[in-house]
Amino acid sequence: SQVTELFSRTRNGEDVKITVTLTNELPPTSPTCLQFYNIIFRRLLKMLNLQQIGRNYYNPSDPVSIPNHRLMVWLGFTSSILQYEENIMLCADVSHKVLRGETVLDTMHSLHSQVGEERFRDTCAKELIGLIVLTKYNNRTYRIDDIDWDNSPKSTFRKSDGSEMSFVEYYRKQYNIEISDWMQPVLISQMKRKRGNIQGSVALIPELCSLTGLTDKMRNDFNMMKDLAIHTRLPPEQRQRELGRLLNYIQKDDNVQKELRNWGLSFDYKSVSFTGRVVQGEKIFQSGTMFDYNPQFADWTKETRGVPLIRSVPMDSWLLIYTRRNYDVANTLLQSLFKVTPSMGIHMNRPSMIEVDDRTEAYLRVLQQRVTPDVNIVFCILSSSRKDKYDAIKKYLCTDCPIPSQCVLACTLSKPQTIMTVATKIALQMNCKMGGELWSVEIPLKQVMIVGIDCYHDTVSGKQSIAGFVASLNQTVTRWFSRCVVQSRGQELVDGIKTCLQTALRNWSKWNKCLPSRIFVYRDGVGDGQLNTLVNYEVPQFLDCLKSIGTDYSPRLTVIVVKKRVGARFFAEIGGGLKNPPPGTVVDTVVTRPEWYDFFIVSQTVKNGCVAPTHYNVVYDTSQLKPDHVQRLTYKLCHMYYNWSGIIRVPAPCQYAHKLAFLVGQSIHREPNLMLSDRLYYL
Amino acid sequence: MDENFQEEFTQIIKFEPPLYKQRYQFVKDLVEKYKPKKVADLGCADCSLLWMLKFCSCIEVLAGLDICANVMKEKMHILSPLPVDYLQPSERSLTVTLHHGSVAHKDPCMLGFDLVTCIELIEHLEESELKKFPEVVFGFMAPSIVVISTPNSEFNSLLPRVMLYRHPDHKFEWNQAQFQGWALETARCYGYSVEFTGVGHPPTGMEKVGFCTQIGVFVRKYSQTGESVQSEKPMEAVYKTVFKAVYPSLKDEKYLQNAVINEVIFTAQIIKHRLMSKREEYGDDPERKSKFQPSMDCFSDYLGKVVVEKNMEPFISGNEVHIPLTTIFSFPKVNRLCGTFEKLCKLIAGKVTLSSDGSAVMFNIEHENEEN
Repeated sequence: SQVTELFSRTRNGEDVKITVTLTNELPPTSPTCLQFYNIIFRRLLKMLNLQQIGRNYYNPSDPVSIPNHRLMVWLGFTSSILQYEENIMLCADVSHKVLRGETVLDTMHSLHSQVGEERFRDTCAKELIGLIVLTKYNNRTYRIDDIDWDNSPKSTFRKSDGSEMSFVEYYRKQYNIEISDWMQPVLISQMKRKRGNIQGSVALIPELCSLTGLTDKMRNDFNMMKDLAIHTRLPPEQRQRELGRLLNYIQKDDNVQKELRNWGLSFDYKSVSFTGRVVQGEKIFQSGTMFDYNPQFADWTKETRGVPLIRSVPMDSWLLIYTRRNYDVANTLLQSLFKVTPSMGIHMNRPSMIEVDDRTEAYLRVLQQRVTPDVNIVFCILSSSRKDKYDAIKKYLCTDCPIPSQCVLACTLSKPQTIMTVATKIALQMNCKMGGELWSVEIPLKQVMIVGIDCYHDTVSGKQSIAGFVASLNQTVTRWFSRCVVQSRGQELVDGIKTCLQTALRNWSKWNKCLPSRIFVYRDGVGDGQLNTLVNYEVPQFLDCLKSIGTDYSPRLTVIVVKKRVGARFFAEIGGGLKNPPPGTVVDTVVTRPEWYDFFIVSQTVKNGCVAPTHYNVVYDTSQLKPDHVQRLTYKLCHMYYNWSGIIRVPAPCQYAHKLAFLVGQSIHREPNLMLSDRLYYL
Repeated sequence: MDENFQEEFTQIIKFEPPLYKQRYQFVKDLVEKYKPKKVADLGCADCSLLWMLKFCSCIEVLAGLDICANVMKEKMHILSPLPVDYLQPSERSLTVTLHHGSVAHKDPCMLGFDLVTCIELIEHLEESELKKFPEVVFGFMAPSIVVISTPNSEFNSLLPRVMLYRHPDHKFEWNQAQFQGWALETARCYGYSVEFTGVGHPPTGMEKVGFCTQIGVFVRKYSQTGESVQSEKPMEAVYKTVFKAVYPSLKDEKYLQNAVINEVIFTAQIIKHRLMSKREEYGDDPERKSKFQPSMDCFSDYLGKVVVEKNMEPFISGNEVHIPLTTIFSFPKVNRLCGTFEKLCKLIAGKVTLSSDGSAVMFNIEHENEEN
């Protein structure tokens, strides 16, 4: 093989011969090369004077500021170069970085003035932990994992050379930064495994950290999100234009072009164009009637009005709990419910009306005294969105005393112009929680069990992970069996999931007098890095579990990984312009991966901005079904989420599993009573 | 970096902190003492000294020069502004520029500096370059202060691994007499005074070998009258600019205006919020009421005082909230940014909704909380 010899001299004057032998050539499609292309592309973005924040690059020179909320939005780009079906391609998208014009210390001050001393620390933990901060002195981002109230900038830390130094002194010496508030606490960020497996934590000074992104509180602020959406929800044409600008920069910049030439690389400056398919819309069945929906809106709220439900559960005995202030609201609600329920086929008696003090203990006492096993559902009108009250009610009624419950904020019910719509939605939701069924679509496969799994990871305490597990019980997939697994850190979720699958199979056979011959598992909540673990560990566990049912039992199994957060965006060329692709658009060529059996479906519609496709990766499949049929089934399941009379982004079992895991993770923290498992009590 | 590594490598003598850090710290201390506005680092290599200096708040112009463009380019992005510099633009302005060129050539971009540093530079110069060096740095650039550091060859006997020179690229290494002789002659020739010092103390008992790194600090004797020197002939640029970063600064009207608008609207929002919540009372939630305590936050105390003053009270009329500009101007942050009330009015004109007479920030609260 080819050998090159080079000569050099060390600092100490020794001559060195370096022999380079050609042993192997990396094909342009090898993973190493792809990694290398990505590095080069990111370097190009840097050369264009874009700023790296986290993984992406942003343009700092033209920020949008939203002073009402002290926010700043930077426009940037996500980029990844990968081998797709036929070509190596760049997948780029517009990304927006929300930055906050205030330091963590500023935020702490305003939290202090909002909640007072007593709840200050708790509130800080809730608001700040999990957020990503930028520091004043370097270009790194850190995640806040903890707040250390026992330390302050005056505290000392041990430097790498072993000497002790205070933060105040360190920042003064290293960066000429004077810390003005010496009483502030210290933020702790856990280091991810870096050089040589060193795990440790970094201490950060709130005053020197700027917040990025949005807190949950901000996400719940309707006005703020509205202000933000104007800037971040770009419609297809505009999105394409922004991307065009990036490509234009790359094309026009001499340094960038020189860099590309030096590596012998070049780009096609047009986005890839190909043909997709739109599967036909589904017919919605609702007790004897059948209707179509307008595919443009992917919604049948109108069509379903006045049609009886597939299965309505009577409300013979139920409680309505409210505070004195909300007496009128409670009555209005009751009247509205009496108006809307007959056409749905729901029989409803007058509830026991119970007035309580607006305290958590008062609610709990009433529940303990008045909830008896014959109660169908408990309805609580809450006067504020205080989480502790909600949590206490849910916890009691999901674990100690398993009865479905419905909590509604008084202000939701206080607007006369919307009360009928709200009452309709609540009636449907309550019916589902009690085990009712609303509508169905045609499921041509027989003896099939559909499973949905999603995970919730507790960001605040970081201790628990919860897996929601949902499995269909009947042929029309309108009834579901739901369980969840509460897992402390370090345990494998899959052990619990195995148990869930076993009980789900038992329940399915009870309902159908046989075992399912086909099982479809829709698995959400899997990061890219966990895909291998899933294939190599979780899927074999599923198979083991099926084997344990009986030696002669071998159903066909399909495991599909569902991914909502994908970089790909599709635009439909309609009438000379770019539009969002219609719901039901399936893409399974050109931009899928050669090593996978994968496809994209655009199932939902959006009012503003660009619709995000959902990615499905079939990691295990013995169904012997054509891809088209797997895709159709998946799309059908996106119609079956009962909290929304329309098509959603993921198959209903995934969304149910998500709802369940979220409720347990946020409010209940342990497995709910199994008495409830045949109802959608968590909707 | 190679050199830094070299010196740490010696087994008998180990400097703590490492010698290169001591040299940088020496420059930093000098900057703290003289507070120069414009600093140039000749032979800036991987820009690490420049990176340290960018945090010195007195410096407004930083320049680096090196004969090797690649070594500069490798890490030059550490000199770029950080996201936070854009989020909270600083008071001072700062421009960082990197030039590719030789200290044997004159380029007008090097004129007007207060401090020029040549850290471990001269020993890399060929004889011909070294000859031209004094004329370029002291004659042409003529800054108020020049710092030159170079190895002290007398110390080499204590560094066992050093054969001839400490680095293969060194063209010479001087003993103390050689360096001081050259420095004194140069100083005399161009009207500078020079003082000698160094970093890297010799071990006890061997004091006469002197510092490991010898340093000369040159201070120009007369204030610059040399307009004539510079305007002798119009110079042509011979250096190539490889990097330039202009830091966001409040001195730039664009950033100032942005900062003021943000602060005005944010302040007004807080006042509005307090005004409205006062009106609503806390009656709806006893749990909150019982736990509500007068806040210790200095901000709310401050607000309390301001609102008491006459003619500055914000008020609600119909669906409009009026917050007088005078109230907003009395907030320390706004005040500091604008300086004068007129400036405040000028900066926010057309960018913030004001009442018809222009005296107050106005919000319409009609459509708020509609879908909350």
